[in-house]
Amino acid sequence: MMLQDGSTQLLCLTASSGVPLFTRGASKQLPFSVIGSLNGVHMFGGGQGVVLTCSETQGGGKVVWRVFQDSVMLIAVSGGGDGGVGSSKEEAHLQRLLENVWGCMVLVLGLDELVNVRNVERLKRELRSCFSLIDELLEDKQEGILGNLTHCADSLVPPNPALFQEAVDGFAQAADSEFGCLVVHGRIASATEKWWRLAPQEVVLLSALIRSLSASGSASCDYPIFLPHGSPTVAHRLLRFQLLPGADVCVLCGPTPSLHGAETGLVGRFWSPLVETLRECLAVGERCLPGSVSLRPDVLALLLINRETRRAVSCVRTSNYHYDGPLLSKARCWELLKLFYIFSTSRYFTQEEPLCVSTEENAQRGNTEDFPLGFSHQPQQCYLVTEECKSYGLQTPQHQLFLLILPSVPTFALRTLATQTLSDIVAATGF
Amino acid sequence: MATANPRHCAGKSISSRHTDEEAAQSDGGSDGGSTASSFSSSDSSDDLEPEWLDDIQKNGELFYLELSEGEEEAALAQQVNQGVSTNHVRFSENEAEIITEQNKKQRCGSRAKGEPTLKKLARILRRKRRPSQRRGGKDGCKDSSSPPASILKNQQGQRQGVTVQQQQLKEVCVYLNPKRLGGSSTPLCDGGGLLEALLGVVHRPAWSRGQEDPAVLTREERLTVHGLIPNSPAIKCGQILIGDVLVAVDDVDVTSENIERVLSCIPGPTQVRLTLETVAPLDRVSAGDASLIRRTKTSPPVSQLVRLLWGEDTAELQMSISHIPHIVMYLSLKLDSTSPQEEEEVLYQYPVSEASSQLKGVRGIFITLCDMLENVTGGRIISSSLLLGKHLVHVGYWKESNNLVVIGLPAERVPLLYLQTVVGDVVRTLKVMYGSLDSAFCKVDHAPRLDHFFCLFFQQLIQPSRLREGSSSAPPPDISGTLFLDGLPAVRWLTLPPEIKMEVDTVLSDFESSDFGEMSEDFFGLRRLYIILGSCLFYKSYLIANHLPKEDLLDVCLYCQHYCLLPLASEQRVGQLVIWREVFPQQRANGATPGYSQPEGRHFLLIVGLRHFMQCVLLEAGGCASPALGSPGPDCVYIDQVKATLLQLEVLEPGIEERLNAPPAPCLSCADWFLPAATARDRLDSLASSSPVFSKLAGAVKGSSSGSRARALFGEKSWRASPQRSLSDSGSEGQMDAGSGSSSSAAPGLSPHSTPDSARKLGGRRDSLGSGGSDGSGGSGGLFKIPRMKHPNPFYLGTLKKTLTERETEEMYNTMKLTSGAENTLFHYVLMETVQGIFIAPTHREVAQLSGSIHPQLIRNFHHCCLSIRAAFQQSLPARSRRAADRPQGGGWGLGPVKEHGVLFQCKPENWTDQKKPAPTMTYWVIGRMLLEPVPQEFYVCFHDSVPEVPVEMAFRLSFGLAL
Repeated sequence: MMLQDGSTQLLCLTASSGVPLFTRGASKQLPFSVIGSLNGVHMFGGGQGVVLTCSETQGGGKVVWRVFQDSVMLIAVSGGGDGGVGSSKEEAHLQRLLENVWGCMVLVLGLDELVNVRNVERLKRELRSCFSLIDELLEDKQEGILGNLTHCADSLVPPNPALFQEAVDGFAQAADSEFGCLVVHGRIASATEKWWRLAPQEVVLLSALIRSLSASGSASCDYPIFLPHGSPTVAHRLLRFQLLPGADVCVLCGPTPSLHGAETGLVGRFWSPLVETLRECLAVGERCLPGSVSLRPDVLALLLINRETRRAVSCVRTSNYHYDGPLLSKARCWELLKLFYIFSTSRYFTQEEPLCVSTEENAQRGNTEDFPLGFSHQPQQCYLVTEECKSYGLQTPQHQLFLLILPSVPTFALRTLATQTLSDIVAATGF
Repeated sequence: MATANPRHCAGKSISSRHTDEEAAQSDGGSDGGSTASSFSSSDSSDDLEPEWLDDIQKNGELFYLELSEGEEEAALAQQVNQGVSTNHVRFSENEAEIITEQNKKQRCGSRAKGEPTLKKLARILRRKRRPSQRRGGKDGCKDSSSPPASILKNQQGQRQGVTVQQQQLKEVCVYLNPKRLGGSSTPLCDGGGLLEALLGVVHRPAWSRGQEDPAVLTREERLTVHGLIPNSPAIKCGQILIGDVLVAVDDVDVTSENIERVLSCIPGPTQVRLTLETVAPLDRVSAGDASLIRRTKTSPPVSQLVRLLWGEDTAELQMSISHIPHIVMYLSLKLDSTSPQEEEEVLYQYPVSEASSQLKGVRGIFITLCDMLENVTGGRIISSSLLLGKHLVHVGYWKESNNLVVIGLPAERVPLLYLQTVVGDVVRTLKVMYGSLDSAFCKVDHAPRLDHFFCLFFQQLIQPSRLREGSSSAPPPDISGTLFLDGLPAVRWLTLPPEIKMEVDTVLSDFESSDFGEMSEDFFGLRRLYIILGSCLFYKSYLIANHLPKEDLLDVCLYCQHYCLLPLASEQRVGQLVIWREVFPQQRANGATPGYSQPEGRHFLLIVGLRHFMQCVLLEAGGCASPALGSPGPDCVYIDQVKATLLQLEVLEPGIEERLNAPPAPCLSCADWFLPAATARDRLDSLASSSPVFSKLAGAVKGSSSGSRARALFGEKSWRASPQRSLSDSGSEGQMDAGSGSSSSAAPGLSPHSTPDSARKLGGRRDSLGSGGSDGSGGSGGLFKIPRMKHPNPFYLGTLKKTLTERETEEMYNTMKLTSGAENTLFHYVLMETVQGIFIAPTHREVAQLSGSIHPQLIRNFHHCCLSIRAAFQQSLPARSRRAADRPQGGGWGLGPVKEHGVLFQCKPENWTDQKKPAPTMTYWVIGRMLLEPVPQEFYVCFHDSVPEVPVEMAFRLSFGLAL
């Protein structure tokens, strides 16, 4: 067995010539013969009018193929694991991963560079600049970031949103831009209206980029980016300024203003009055919801998606409950929440992404999991009782809510608990 | 009664010994005289040949299916409403004595007289067409003598040619059964030939009439109908008139020259389409359209399924799905460079169509992936998804030693979640039938049989509606339902009242002891041929008794499922079904039990079906019985014993029917009742109809009345009713004739209380209750004295009827329901018992009674959801012995073991036209629960969401009803 249990390896090749561009993930790289065969079977099928999209092996191993723009072939190979908890990835998850990796490459290099490959060696060199971002996508290092999976921006609801909204709007306007956002703990606390109008995938990728930039520790930076859907060929500048550790403000802008000019002239003017409010906001931390929202003690973890604005809040509660069963670790809770999200969306709740995916790509994606289309009636809610916990999913026209609940809660009470939680949060925050 | 006529059987068992050689010898078969004489010497003087004798294949296998005459009549025009005798097994004289009605006796007598001479002819004819008959697929088409080859070629030109002549054409469907040539009372007059004997059309050739017809060529004379023979198919259909000219049979042009040849090509009982030129139009409607309409309306053709089982027609069926990509391949992973053949790695492939050849073209992908991925991810490959143009195709793999089975199916038919189960079941079925995949695929002479096997497989999955069309009573197919229920490692069980259950078990045990007649070793002083390992009994597709170990039962059931035998038996289809073949039960073949080794023996499966009953018997040769040599054919003694058993069991049919007609044991509600559109009155009615007492009463009255109708109409010979029973029948008959006009048109099994209109239902019920009560004497008194029927005292009836307020109705109805709360909210359920390998679900009839527009949708949805729920159960379980797979389902389930899983659905009525108001909605749960204690069970339930339920409790409540 060449792949370790549960690890995922990403292979990137040129679609036309099969030259390997890079491989990421998994400590041990797959031998070239295997990479070549994996690419070969897909290429051969393409010649015969058969597009291979996915294969599955016993124990949950999966291979997913995808060609982007007839130029780059991405293959994700995920090893199964016998009984390894949360070891394998669902196909939908891997498809998402490939889309995001392709998005990253466009974001950093631009579409022209990738589609019209003149010099493969140069492309290989240039692609290195994406590696940190791709690695973050592959490894899901930061807990509590589900945007890569849901394609909904991970958000944080600040205690007093109006103040931040005003500040972000003013700051962006002063920087001669319509796109600005405030990121706290890697989650968007506030953003201009135009920022929310970006394609969901772009918002998610930008958040990922900002996270990786702010992890580098610099106080400010000026980074050229392409928007995969909005402007894949014309670069923009992403200006990022650290306000406090864990709080960053960003704007997307054209040639002006200069990084230095903005840092000295604008940041202080707009944000210094708000430092105390920012500290309060940082205190909200990974809970994402202000203290005014009280969750029932039975709720272990929560993911709430606003389907219209494509925003999501998520949190895992830690040890403030009294329960004599085995406690679930925080990491395991995130894991379960993710798995339950994938389970419910691939089987019952259809995901809709009108903006980000073009029809052609949709066809190529092949909606391999078309199981939800087979239902003659609309699924609304679902639950799962497992040994560790109970999970509940709920979908309304406006929201999707996914909950992990203590096993001690009786099953018939889950529904009430879930609807109650949803209405509580919506009433308190207007999310 | 228990034993069949020993004299008759003795003769049989001897004759069956050499049947094989004879069949083989006379295969060429044109020498009628010698064949006939050889047979008459072997036949004991008055013995009747079993009809299936000539269908035995060289390897001893037998698949003989004959529709009951009732079914044939249904296939004819509907104006035939005189009593028709069901085609009974004419294998023993006992049977003839049982028949009580006078005319039947006479009929049998005359039949017996006419038979010997006719049988010979019939046999000759059968022998002629034998070589071409049982071949499926490609071979059948290539055969020049088989009719389908010419269908497409001739159609166009011939039609046009006739319209030029300004003649009126009409098409008539008639049902012909060459196997029963001898059965008709027609004497075979010389010169008439098959045209008269089979069809019943009298044609006098020109030379015998001594006159010249101007329109007629001298040699090839047109077939003018000069007369019709009474009781023949031609006259029964009522559309063939004297003076018509027979132009074509199944679109093959016929003249006096070739008619005999064409008719002799008719393989077995079938429906043929006659094209007739007529002088006057039948109706005022223009002839072309009218004939078409008439054809579809009056005579539903024999269903495609039956034709497929008979081995006809596969080419056309296959053609209709050729654009949908699907394939099965058996690929060799061993590269042998020495053999010069092309495509040597493809050991078997089906079908050969454009879409499938594309899949075949990329077999390199499958081989490579299968080989490579195991090394990469450490697990065997299970599935791949491919995109062929717009079609998404899932490909399932099954690797065994150095060979690989690849099955490609369109994604819209089989969801990826369930693909592995489907593939596993096919592989297991093949292993049961052939022992191993290698022996199934690699023997050349298996190829046509495998073609047939996979034709059935793909037809069932891809166009189930096409297979069922023609059988009127069948509900629209529910692909998810079929997938789910067939995929369960269990058989559908029907709970019976304990008395009936006990009788059934006793009869089966008697049979299985095989300790009487010449089945006992004492009879001949020889070692017996086979030992009976066990048997199971189906009634109308429900398992009602099982004396087989679970794994054997599943093997047998897989075979039955694959050949659609169960639905076949449920629709009054089977006149006689005899199947005999060697099987390789998986449990026994693997010999898994340590410490005890199964006796080395060969196993044979015998399935005998008579109308609604079907018994599957597993026999073992070797071990205690004498070892089997070569490929032994079916043994008459055993078949006759099974038939005798089935006949014995037919006494119980009314009891079982009563159970089927009884109101659903846990009450069911119809989804439509919960939508506000339904009026309050409907609600009340529905309430009443699900009230156990109320509808049980009604059901009893109706049940017995429809029983009497059925008897009067169809005169089923075997219905040897008890004296009381017949008394009550005769007493109530007149009244019912007058009272229930609707029941006369109803099919025998279907009681009128299943009519969809619930308002009328209630009315009708009151009527019959009232008349029953007021009748007072004789008839109705007898009606309620019928043993085995448990209803309340008839004298209580009057008061019951009067004081039955709504509240009381509700009270009574609270007693027998599964859900809690005031209203019954249960829509559907499935409970599977893993240990015994059975499951229960509402019967088809119970579901049919709850007709409505939403309810069928709901059930489809329920089944689709169950696919997902069960997949979750399966995936979350670690390696557990599964029905199809010894290997564990693809682990990789991070969520941990799933105990319970539920989904809430919302539905809206279709075609909601009211713009002002939003459409009303109804929400319901589909919940699956897996129980490991006290016995492993899986429980799936669907109920309205008004009351929160605890599925465990429901499952326990339900499993108390599952008395075994």
